[in-house]
Amino acid sequence: MRRRLDRVSLVAGLAISGLGVVLLLDRTGVIEVGFGYGLPALLACVGAILLAAGLEGPRR
Amino acid sequence: MSGMSARPLRRDADGGIVAGVCSGVGRRLGVDPIILRVAFCAATLVGGTGLVVYLLAWALVPAEGEGRPTMARLAGRRETWLVVGGSTLLLLSVLLLLREWGLWFSDAIAWPVLLAGAGAALIWRQSAAAAPAAPPPPGPAPARVRVGGPGSPDPFRARRLPTPALGPVTVGAALVVAAGLVFLWLNDALAPARDVILAVVVVVVALTLILAPWWLRLVRGLSAERAERIRSQERSEVAAHLHDSVLQTLALVQRRAGDPREVANLARRQERELRAWLNGGRPEPGDSLAGSLEAAAAEVEETHGVPIDVVAVGDAPIDEQGAALVAAAREALVNAAKFAGGGAGGSISLYAEVGEERTEVFVRDRGPGFDLAAVSEDRRGVRESIVGRMHRHGGSATVHSTPGGGTEVELVIER
Repeated sequence: MRRRLDRVSLVAGLAISGLGVVLLLDRTGVIEVGFGYGLPALLACVGAILLAAGLEGPRR
Repeated sequence: MSGMSARPLRRDADGGIVAGVCSGVGRRLGVDPIILRVAFCAATLVGGTGLVVYLLAWALVPAEGEGRPTMARLAGRRETWLVVGGSTLLLLSVLLLLREWGLWFSDAIAWPVLLAGAGAALIWRQSAAAAPAAPPPPGPAPARVRVGGPGSPDPFRARRLPTPALGPVTVGAALVVAAGLVFLWLNDALAPARDVILAVVVVVVALTLILAPWWLRLVRGLSAERAERIRSQERSEVAAHLHDSVLQTLALVQRRAGDPREVANLARRQERELRAWLNGGRPEPGDSLAGSLEAAAAEVEETHGVPIDVVAVGDAPIDEQGAALVAAAREALVNAAKFAGGGAGGSISLYAEVGEERTEVFVRDRGPGFDLAAVSEDRRGVRESIVGRMHRHGGSATVHSTPGGGTEVELVIER
């Protein structure tokens, strides 16, 4: 039987990983992430997780 | 017309990996979904737009087999707040990015416009949802409509917002007012009114501090009064029910004390009614299977004066199959009452288990029992009214009986 994917966890993992990559690149000096880019990235990360949780509906 | 344009865009929720957006779009465009997945991932890693677009598609494109998109289905549910919060944060992040890139008017205009837009959207959405429905079909109008006047509904009532819509409308109005205040504040137009507002705020705070103890006492008093009123109403309900049922039955019992069978019937009926009341009400006989079985048992009990214990687990709306089941069970109860009711330990039991796919009813008695093979062909009670009826409606009936060992009639219907 095919195991059902937990979409909320997947989106949350992707979003947090993306945020982590951005912060890592900032730390290593490849890119420079200031408040002007960091805050939108953080908001987008939280927003994506909330939206995915809302779209997934109640857990059974 | 080509197949591509004839087929509407749908998410492939079952065949997809996350929400089936890439799979659905790929099928619609005739493109391998893997290419789209790679494109979405790349767009996500580059600037995050891939994730935003994917989530928007998830929200706005309906899945295969669904009539409406997810957003429309979510309206009015708890998850709506999660969706609204997530969408707001995503929108805010995009706006902050645009501001950072310089694609921006000015803070004094953009933020008030956004606030006012959100508030207006809330108000318009609620007012659109509360718009009067289509005129009712010709025929007698419901009594509720006719209360206001002869045949015509109250026009003001039709335009009034329903109570659940008042919350979002209030939030929308607050957002619009806040947008106006933010606009005035950012443009320094509130400076002349600042002193007046400060004085008003100080007076309001002072009055709140002074009146708070009385207000709290008033609120507590109202709560206590409400609780007392509820208790009093419950007591009245119980007293009214006891009067209508138990006291009336006791009066009948006194009047018919010379007829033991009638007294037993009255007591039995009262016991059944009281048990149903204690268990939270009895299902209506005409609507539900369990209710119809109980009604049939009560009727047989009253007619034949034999106690029948009814236990029903689960319930379902009654349909043609259910009606046949009830009729067969009634016939089995009548047989049991006729042939086993007066015997030793003469109680009859009816056990019903109503499931989603299968309904089983057992009618048992401890009577003398009989040999089914020995029943003559012209006796139609068991053969036609029970076994034949169940077969005609796609069910089965089995009679287990041995002489001296009681009888059990098993009725099964698969849905």
